[in-house]
Amino acid sequence: MNINQDNFEENLSAQLQRLLESIQATGRAALPKSNDALLSSIVETAAQIFGAAAASILLVNEEEEALEFKVSYGQADHDLVGTKFPYDKGIAGYVFMTGQPIATSNVRQDKRFDQDFAKSTGYVPNSILATPLISAGDRILGVMEVLDKIDAASFDMQDMELMGMFAQQAALAIDQSQQIENIAEILIAGLKRLVEEQDNPAELASALDQAGNGNDSLSEMLELADLFNTISAMGKSERKAVMQILRTFAEYGRSAARRGRNVR
Amino acid sequence: MSDEEIRPAWSHHFSKELLQELIAEGPLAGIDRDWAWKDSAGKGVRVAIVDSGVEHDHPALGDCVRGGVIVEYDARAEDNYRIKPDDKPGDMSGHGTACAGIIHSIAPEAEIYSVRVLGRNMGGRAIQFAAGLDWAIENNMDVVNLSLSTSLEEYFGVFHDLADQAYFKNSILVSAVNNISGPSYPSLYSSVVSVAAHEEKDTFTYYYNTKPPVEFGAPGIDVEVAWNRRQYITATGNSFAAPHIAGITALIRSKHPQLTPFQVKTVLMACASNMRRQGK
Repeated sequence: MNINQDNFEENLSAQLQRLLESIQATGRAALPKSNDALLSSIVETAAQIFGAAAASILLVNEEEEALEFKVSYGQADHDLVGTKFPYDKGIAGYVFMTGQPIATSNVRQDKRFDQDFAKSTGYVPNSILATPLISAGDRILGVMEVLDKIDAASFDMQDMELMGMFAQQAALAIDQSQQIENIAEILIAGLKRLVEEQDNPAELASALDQAGNGNDSLSEMLELADLFNTISAMGKSERKAVMQILRTFAEYGRSAARRGRNVR
Repeated sequence: MSDEEIRPAWSHHFSKELLQELIAEGPLAGIDRDWAWKDSAGKGVRVAIVDSGVEHDHPALGDCVRGGVIVEYDARAEDNYRIKPDDKPGDMSGHGTACAGIIHSIAPEAEIYSVRVLGRNMGGRAIQFAAGLDWAIENNMDVVNLSLSTSLEEYFGVFHDLADQAYFKNSILVSAVNNISGPSYPSLYSSVVSVAAHEEKDTFTYYYNTKPPVEFGAPGIDVEVAWNRRQYITATGNSFAAPHIAGITALIRSKHPQLTPFQVKTVLMACASNMRRQGK
């Protein structure tokens, strides 16, 4: 019996190891670790694709009914990050309210673009292409802007169309990344509740508290959620294999707990 | 839905390479621009701009703005919206003023009404839009400029009903197709005059396209437009193409008030810049 158990542990460990390696090999490691890193990579790519001197993303801040600059690339620089606009203000506001992209140039004559604000950052764009970030569920997550077309006076229709497609992909990634963070929060909240019902929860509770502060435990949970995501996208047989492994692991954990052993 | 159906409703239909030359045959050959709108300035025609509002005292608009309404989302109201009169309308963004300015430049005697349907409440966006369109139809607007659309599937039926209502109440809906790939309502319905931007600059150069989803192409790239706070900007988008066709529609309706929506669309098609008359 003991010999079988040891074999089983060894097999399980080897299987998990192989699984992790295969997941990394399929490009899982290429995914940004956090929402902020994802946003940065999106604006940088957008600026390059559309030949823009700068680019930025504003996301919805529902509590304040505002669009908040989350990330910015190029001349506009990082001073913008954290700045908020009311929903109905400026070109970004129009794009947000209508879900329609717009391209404008000669923006210096357009007082909708808040001159004082732009001057305070020392950067006034001459051309803007602003596109909504729309989730798969038709929720507008925010607005992506590319600013100052290099080598042309304004962004054209082709830019607008391509940026629409690019923004769709970006919105899916942002939405997913936000959901993964939400899943982690929900997971943590659920576990906390569970722990509060236990007899001696101190150790686990403090570990979970730390997890909420964005330390390694949280990133592990994010990674776990992310792994589920990646695996479920691989296909039916992969999903089945992983489910089997997890079920076996869970069953093993339960039986080990009954015998007073830790699962390692 | 096949890939073909969800292709972006786009201006490439109107590029020089893809543009079809059409031939006007039979009675269509007798309909030309002189007959359709020569000497018309849009007098007596009421045009609603369903948008962000219209700045009534913008210098580009003369005194063509005759009033309007603001449609607000209100969760406590019976149909979740409220309509307030807006006798001297303003514009919260500039977009509606841009559309009004284009129409006024084409049909200077047409009366313009602002129907403001944009606001801070995101959840009520489509409700406001539908209610604003309903107001325009019920108030006998001859032409309704919709440089807005919704892509929400659950509003397919609502907007389809409104488009039918407009058709039978003799109100012509001129709708910009979405700038983003994917379906948008009401621009996809056959009773609506759908418009995308082409690359030409001349105000009266517009094309007819026989292949759905978009029927008409009009100027919409780098157009000098009025903007709110008495400004002007250069703007690009299908939003700015629709009011070109709305303006021409106003000219036709003023000169030929007896024509019904499908007849007006036929006249627009017959007079398109890619229509060749036999023997000409």
